[in-house]
Amino acid sequence: MGRRLPWGGKMKTNSNRIDKYFHRSTLLALLLLGMAAFSFASSPAWAADDTITIGVVLPTTGSESKPGQYQKEGIELAIKQINDAGGIMVKSKGKKLKINEIFYDDGTDSKKSASLAERAMSSDNAVAVLGGYSTALGTAESVMADRYKTPWITTGAGATAIFGKGYQYAFGTLSPVALIGSTSAEFLGAMVDQGKLKKGLKVAMVVENTDHGTDYVNGFNEWNGKHSGYFQVVMNEKFELGATDFSSVLQKVKSSHADIFLSDAHLPDYITMHRQYLQNGLHHQMISYGARGPEAAARQALGAGTDYIFAGIWWSGKLPYPQAKKFAADYKAFTGHDVDSWYAAPAYDAMRILAKAIEAAGSLEKTAIRDALKKAELTDSVLPGQKLKFAANGQAEYPFVITQNKPDNKVDIVYPKDAATGEAVAPIPNR
Amino acid sequence: MNALEYLDLLLKALLLAGVYAAMAVGMTVVYGVMKIVNLAHAGFLMLGAYFALEMFQRFHIDPILGAVMALPVFFLFGMAVHWLLVRWLPKSDTPTLASLLLMFGFWLVLQNMGYLFWGNEDQSILTPLTLSSVHLGDVISVPKVNLVVFAAAVFCMIVLQVLFHRSWFGRSMRALIQNPYAAQIVGVDDQRTSRLTFGLGTAFAGFAGALLGMLYSFSPDFGRPFLLRSFVIIVLGGLDSISGVALGAVVLAVLETFSTSIPFPWYHHGWNFFYLPPSYQPVVPFALLVLVLVILPKGLSSLFTRKWKAA
Repeated sequence: MGRRLPWGGKMKTNSNRIDKYFHRSTLLALLLLGMAAFSFASSPAWAADDTITIGVVLPTTGSESKPGQYQKEGIELAIKQINDAGGIMVKSKGKKLKINEIFYDDGTDSKKSASLAERAMSSDNAVAVLGGYSTALGTAESVMADRYKTPWITTGAGATAIFGKGYQYAFGTLSPVALIGSTSAEFLGAMVDQGKLKKGLKVAMVVENTDHGTDYVNGFNEWNGKHSGYFQVVMNEKFELGATDFSSVLQKVKSSHADIFLSDAHLPDYITMHRQYLQNGLHHQMISYGARGPEAAARQALGAGTDYIFAGIWWSGKLPYPQAKKFAADYKAFTGHDVDSWYAAPAYDAMRILAKAIEAAGSLEKTAIRDALKKAELTDSVLPGQKLKFAANGQAEYPFVITQNKPDNKVDIVYPKDAATGEAVAPIPNR
Repeated sequence: MNALEYLDLLLKALLLAGVYAAMAVGMTVVYGVMKIVNLAHAGFLMLGAYFALEMFQRFHIDPILGAVMALPVFFLFGMAVHWLLVRWLPKSDTPTLASLLLMFGFWLVLQNMGYLFWGNEDQSILTPLTLSSVHLGDVISVPKVNLVVFAAAVFCMIVLQVLFHRSWFGRSMRALIQNPYAAQIVGVDDQRTSRLTFGLGTAFAGFAGALLGMLYSFSPDFGRPFLLRSFVIIVLGGLDSISGVALGAVVLAVLETFSTSIPFPWYHHGWNFFYLPPSYQPVVPFALLVLVLVILPKGLSSLFTRKWKAA
């Protein structure tokens, strides 16, 4: 008698079962053979050598999916423009080669991010890998570059810790995070010099518990140390990334009686913390969340509550350069939506400087590309300063711009003066 | 910090307990009856948040009403999930690997469906209630949204408690919690009760998700940080007790909130005071989980039971 199955049928036994198993195993073997043949044929390592394989590892799912998506779009826009122009001239091949992108979503998981970067560098034999948003994921990926001697450009990790380890194949298109802290301090100092803020104001700092947060505080303290009497730091606390409740830390901010509130947070934490900040009825003369502020998601979530927040960012659509404006227009045509934040621009330029380095290397040999990257200079960069090149440690260094949210979803560049599109409001009005 | 500021923190901790209780109650019900650690609970929370968002954006329905509407919708959805997937799991008195894998896999499916339908944008529900608070003097402020969530959590607890003790379905559930074999011998239809229980647990998850959508921004990945806390709460509460959930939620919220605000004395060349940095706050639920599993494996409520028995 056969065993009754949950869906009502009976399991057949003996010879029938053996026949069925034989059939099944034959089918399974054929299926596996077919899959192996398919993957062999489609493997980039065996693909025709008339393309340049570039790996891209970014989060398009998970908590960092939004910035990851923007960066992916920035890279893909650059790839499209390069391929539409015929590709990259590779001297050793004697012809222009198009870029073949292999994209992996790391799901905002640092272990997965590292293993996918490894896969792109080893199994896929990519000549270079782009990716690594945010600092945590970039740090995880960074160890693979020297291990596989493959140039890796992080488009979204700006912490100095990555570039202080002597890696030879790691590059980054984000200016150091410490510069956000020092530029923010410089901007606030300028407000003091203009008489908008008083000297000696008390500052409360609450930053995320990452290298990003540490660099931000170090940058602020470095400027403050050199300019005595401007600000007095009365609170310096760290919070866990992705926290759901900030009531106790905000209560400490309240108790510190600070005049200025500075935080360094990723987008979801910025939204959650600022929501609770507003619910607690807090008010400070100036507020910042580091590199976060003008994002559409935050303004949708908190409405007028985000007005007057200032941010130190790597790029703004308001930059008065023709190439920055062209990039914004091309991006909109490519994706169908406006470039509402800085994330896409450093990724776009990362792909463009890589293309320039491949052309200069004249071959697809990874070490030659690495050497070319060290010397490469993008003179029509869309980033502040209009020039992108890597310092000796592999990290790009260019100035930040300070933006400030204004009512009715407007955003102005308020610092430095020569790029400003509006006046800084300081101190911010009480709600 | 002064006494008023500590009082403000205590109020916020209690409101946070309301959030925690709302999100954990559905998971407790499912665990209690079916011994399934429902990892897909985070997925149901996420769907609940999107349900409220869709109701709000498409039909201009207030998210609180949207949360109430989520109850019947998610009840039916939960029953369908049970009929399609959960009923095939092997029966056991303890959580099985098969059930963990199934629910984890289903959570991933829900997450990816979320990405397919809504993309990876961070979404929020902004109503006039979102940023408004009740201010009592200069120090104490109570966010109105948190008050609503707290009231909803208390309402859930009362409804469940009544359902548990005053209905045939509730008695069937309790019987299955106490002894599934004896319950079946005396005529409890375990399949039907399990199906209804899973529906109920899913309904409360959808309801909580819709409420949480008013407090936090969300994406298809929403719910992950709440999953561990839900688990800690049900372990604290004794794994299958509704009143235990309330107790567990209060204990966790108060400890999390005050752990970084209360000075811990320590002696080194005289008495000093040490504050736990806020970045170490996540240590609290993990430490609690370990402590309770080792010292009180039947949850905090077993403390009271022991005393009662001793008396």
